[in-house]
Amino acid sequence: MDIQLKRGLLDVCVLASIKNEDSYGYKIIKDLNPYVKLSESTLYTILKRLETSNMLTVHTVEYGGRLRKYYHITKNGIKRIEDFKEEWQEVLSIYQFVIKEEER
Amino acid sequence: MNKQEFLAELKAGLAGLPQKDIEDQLNFYSEMIDDRMEEGFSEEKAVSTFGLIDEIVKNLIADTSLIKIAKERINSKTKFNIWEIILLVLGSPIWISILIAAVTVIFSLYISLWSVIVSFWSIFVSFIGASLGMIVGGIIILCKSDFFIGIAMIGVCFILAGLSIFTFYGCKLSTKGILLLTKKTAVCIKNALLKKETA
Repeated sequence: MDIQLKRGLLDVCVLASIKNEDSYGYKIIKDLNPYVKLSESTLYTILKRLETSNMLTVHTVEYGGRLRKYYHITKNGIKRIEDFKEEWQEVLSIYQFVIKEEER
Repeated sequence: MNKQEFLAELKAGLAGLPQKDIEDQLNFYSEMIDDRMEEGFSEEKAVSTFGLIDEIVKNLIADTSLIKIAKERINSKTKFNIWEIILLVLGSPIWISILIAAVTVIFSLYISLWSVIVSFWSIFVSFIGASLGMIVGGIIILCKSDFFIGIAMIGVCFILAGLSIFTFYGCKLSTKGILLLTKKTAVCIKNALLKKETA
């Protein structure tokens, strides 16, 4: 897949995983695992990028005697997900058309 | 490799990058290791899932802007002694102009590369323009005066159109090449700045 395309998609993936509830690094990787393999290194850069563009915020929570970073989605992040859904509706219908033509 | 060793090696590999970024990365991986160990992984197994430290370092360098790295380099040299300060001040007209000259040279080299690309693209555009002119002119002449000259002009139009297609691919290739070269140069400069710190 085109690198730029994949980057954009993974960004939205991570945002979606923290949309309904705050999550932390390892849990995000685990939740996405059935769908897409994410390496720690990639996740780190994605989280940094999303934080800089104000799509998520970070806060620390004490857990079992150590500190854990939790990520929380912002309004911008939610908007990004909505935009993604809109853009890809069209991609989906094009894909369905291509598949239909292939089967003929 | 256990947790301590991994974090130490990672820290060493990241030397030269902004302090805050290094800290964030170390905390991030430390957290990952702890989480995995909670799930039952051994320390060694947890560390082995991260892959090579070189890869991690390479990714972070690629993602950190050149400006950030240059700033960090300048900031870390906080202990200018008094002689360096005096020399810097006294020498400033000289090193400033040398610096400007160096930057200008590099910049003009870059511009010349791009001018070559621009001329390729202009050739492409002229081929298209000429072939359009030929077909219009050819049809007019064909209808109005000499049939054969008209046909010849239309023929030339097709030749020019074909040439423009070749030129287009040439332009695309060279443009992509220059963009790739720019990217690679940025990575080289970043590495050079970072190596000087650790060497």
